[in-house]
Amino acid sequence: MHDSDDTGRTRRRFLRAAAAAGVIGVAGCNTPGEGGDGTGTATEGATDSDGGGTDSPEQIGSGRSPFGDREVGGTTIEEMPDLEGELTVYSGRGEALVGELVGFIEDRYSDFTVRPLYNTAAELVSQIETEGANSPADVFYSVNAGALGTLAERGRTQTLPQEVLEFVPSNFRDPDGEWLGTSGRARSIPYNTDTFSASDIPTDIMSFPDTDAFAGEIGWTPTYSSFQAFITAMRILEGEDATREWLNGMQELGVSAYGDEFQISRAVADGEVSVGLANHYYVQRVVARRSNAPLATAFTRNDAGAIFNVAGACVLDTASDSTLASNFVRHLLSAEAQDYFARSTFEYPLVPAVDPIGRLPPIDELNPPENVDLSQLADLEETISLLRETGAL
Amino acid sequence: MATEHQSADDGTDQGNQLPLGASIAAAAVSAAVLLPVLWLLRVGLGVGFDSAVALLTRPTTLEVFVNSALLVALTTAACVAIGVPLAYLTVRTDLPFRRFWTIAVSLPLVIPSYVGAFAFVSAFGPQGGFQRLLAPLGVERLPEIYGLEGTVLILTLYTYPYVYITARASLKSMDTTLIDAARTLEHDRWETFRRVTIPQIRPAVAAGALLSALYVLADFGTPSIMRYDVFTRVIFVEFGTFGRDTAVLLSLQLVAVTVFILWLESRVRGEERTTAGGRSRALVPLGTWRYPAVIPVAAVAGLALVVPVAILVSWLVATGPTANQSLAFEWSYALNSVTVSTAAAAVAVVTGIPVAYLSARHEGRLPDAFERLSYIGYAVPGVVLGLALVFFGSAYATPIYQTLYLLVFAYVIRFLPQSVGSLRASFLSVDPSLPEAARTLGQTSTGAFRYVTLPLVAPGLFGGAALVFLTTMKELPATLLLRPSGFTTLVTHIWTAYESGYFGQAAIPALVLLLVSGLSMLVILRQEGYDVK
Repeated sequence: MHDSDDTGRTRRRFLRAAAAAGVIGVAGCNTPGEGGDGTGTATEGATDSDGGGTDSPEQIGSGRSPFGDREVGGTTIEEMPDLEGELTVYSGRGEALVGELVGFIEDRYSDFTVRPLYNTAAELVSQIETEGANSPADVFYSVNAGALGTLAERGRTQTLPQEVLEFVPSNFRDPDGEWLGTSGRARSIPYNTDTFSASDIPTDIMSFPDTDAFAGEIGWTPTYSSFQAFITAMRILEGEDATREWLNGMQELGVSAYGDEFQISRAVADGEVSVGLANHYYVQRVVARRSNAPLATAFTRNDAGAIFNVAGACVLDTASDSTLASNFVRHLLSAEAQDYFARSTFEYPLVPAVDPIGRLPPIDELNPPENVDLSQLADLEETISLLRETGAL
Repeated sequence: MATEHQSADDGTDQGNQLPLGASIAAAAVSAAVLLPVLWLLRVGLGVGFDSAVALLTRPTTLEVFVNSALLVALTTAACVAIGVPLAYLTVRTDLPFRRFWTIAVSLPLVIPSYVGAFAFVSAFGPQGGFQRLLAPLGVERLPEIYGLEGTVLILTLYTYPYVYITARASLKSMDTTLIDAARTLEHDRWETFRRVTIPQIRPAVAAGALLSALYVLADFGTPSIMRYDVFTRVIFVEFGTFGRDTAVLLSLQLVAVTVFILWLESRVRGEERTTAGGRSRALVPLGTWRYPAVIPVAAVAGLALVVPVAILVSWLVATGPTANQSLAFEWSYALNSVTVSTAAAAVAVVTGIPVAYLSARHEGRLPDAFERLSYIGYAVPGVVLGLALVFFGSAYATPIYQTLYLLVFAYVIRFLPQSVGSLRASFLSVDPSLPEAARTLGQTSTGAFRYVTLPLVAPGLFGGAALVFLTTMKELPATLLLRPSGFTTLVTHIWTAYESGYFGQAAIPALVLLLVSGLSMLVILRQEGYDVK
């Protein structure tokens, strides 16, 4: 049975590779129902996890990248175990950002159904917690490591298989293997190019409060999860006192509070403030829509301001079929999915064989601080009390 | 319904003997409304009080409390100042195109206030679209829209319809022969309004103002976008950092503030046992002011509706072909919205009748308690109510968990006070001697209710249904938590686009939301033809 299955697969693979060579980048060229009767084993995809799959991955979606086509390495979906059954995915990532990807994976298999529930990551954590053992959720897909770490800490996750974990470098996954990152986001400094040039932006986040040019011109987002993770990193790296001093200094500088980081990025583009603190892809999203916006990104070096966080996934303790659930997570690490993140959400792919796209430095040119474990960023309690104590919240 | 009113009109109308059927029905409704609070208490009491005390005694607590109080007081006053004159103009005067204006000034209720806030910031922010328009004239920066004034402006524009709709229902069912009588007693028009009309509509205006006040108190989105620091932000921060239990505990604090506001309202609404017939006479001619009077009406509707729609459409045009395919609009979203909203409105009115009827017709603690309790679900933030039902649904009602039944149940619990408030004000304005007269003419008590009382309260009934319908159309937090997988409404679609930064694509569902709500309002208002002549 395995033999005949593999033969069929090889033929399809050949046809697909031939087709892909001609039509890559054309929307909707995937064929639903692929491998519906397949009985793929759990070891299949892992052998290629260090890159160099033999297939050409096909592109998900319309190929609307403003940054052009490219070659993509990694393990293709074709090389992964088939998915079969019904899966409830609680997604803290927006339907507009990942709906197409989830739909693409679902359409590959005729006997596979995803029941997605979209909400904010924090509310889904509350929902999973409230549902307790009755939760219908199998997989939780999160915008940040914090939500995943919280669920792991509360004992609501299952350890992922080693061969799935090995897709991403160890700094992008939980040390105990309870969750892993699927795409990355760097902290960055959006600035208005009418006011500043790149050399005006300090490369040390701790010197921001002393930068007089930023007085009354800088924005932050004290209620926003990525900002809070950044402050947590600062606490870990610089200590409580230095962080308190930084928070006070920023407020003496006349920092403006915004609701979210997309709002900040637009405010910087509009000149409402001249510089801000935000995740890197918000700037890319503004630029993708307003190509002449006077907006650019700077990165600090080797400090809390350069922290590199991940969006990722975990399998919940209530999952009814944990093999199916972890194989779905594996699909998020396929060449197709990783390419999709780079192209559509302007994030950093985490599978080393797939490069980022756009006006971004490659992942190894970033200078994130060493010695910060992403799961430590889930510890927000001290951060919140520090933010409150200093009046930032 | 049939048995509920059997003993209601047995001559002991204002007496203390409660009709059994109506009491049981009202008690059942109150019990359902109390479910979420049970969960709040269960979770809240599980939290160490130390952390709660620490939160309550931190230095900014007083400031945040004063901010919230200011916001609620100013917004509520502004809602009354706008809602009552608009209701008077569209009900009692010969304003041109009254039906059109009635719908237009009700519609701001369907625009989620965070969308409104967001649009206003984009339009009138220091360097927003409006400033760019004025830039050639040398305008470099507009006055600050952020802060208290801006927040009051936005919340007023999107919550005054509560006052408008309840005041309108009350004016429609008011006995205008009283006005004629006052006029024959040589009161001028203003004095008549002050001495006759205001006391008549006061319970309704108070009910509407209460809804506005509680909405403002529990809203998070608008103050966040307008950068004004209030109470709900503390709760929001706890939720954002996975501190669900603390957030729930803090929501109990909101419930406490709500109880205070409910008490305040019962003092303000004053002498209530005003009764009237329902005879309405000719409209007040505006004379030379007939057309100029359209200007303020159009200005309010224009500001509240045109600004967000114009901003969204301008983004849609700017976005053009790079639109996100996952966000393609489907008409089924509109159908989904209308279906659940209609169901919620119908159930909220039917379950609201016994509560409102008892409270309007009978003195005593129990009827009062039933009525006041109906506000509880409205007072807690939507997320908290949603989670409470997540708990009960997943633990005790698995077959209906993540189905439309539980979702509609959530809407009813959340919006019940809107139908109760509107119905109650109308029951108060029915002269009890009228159903009594019907009884003496041989009608059964059910018949008297059906043929006399019900037609007299029809404006309140449809006003209540309209309120529940419009607010369900825009409800987001509970919908996100309780909807079945793949169930998309207009508002969840707007949220999806908004949250991912595809603002332009929020324009189509927003326009459809206005269109569909407007048409539905037309249908609801046509039913009022059922009015007595």
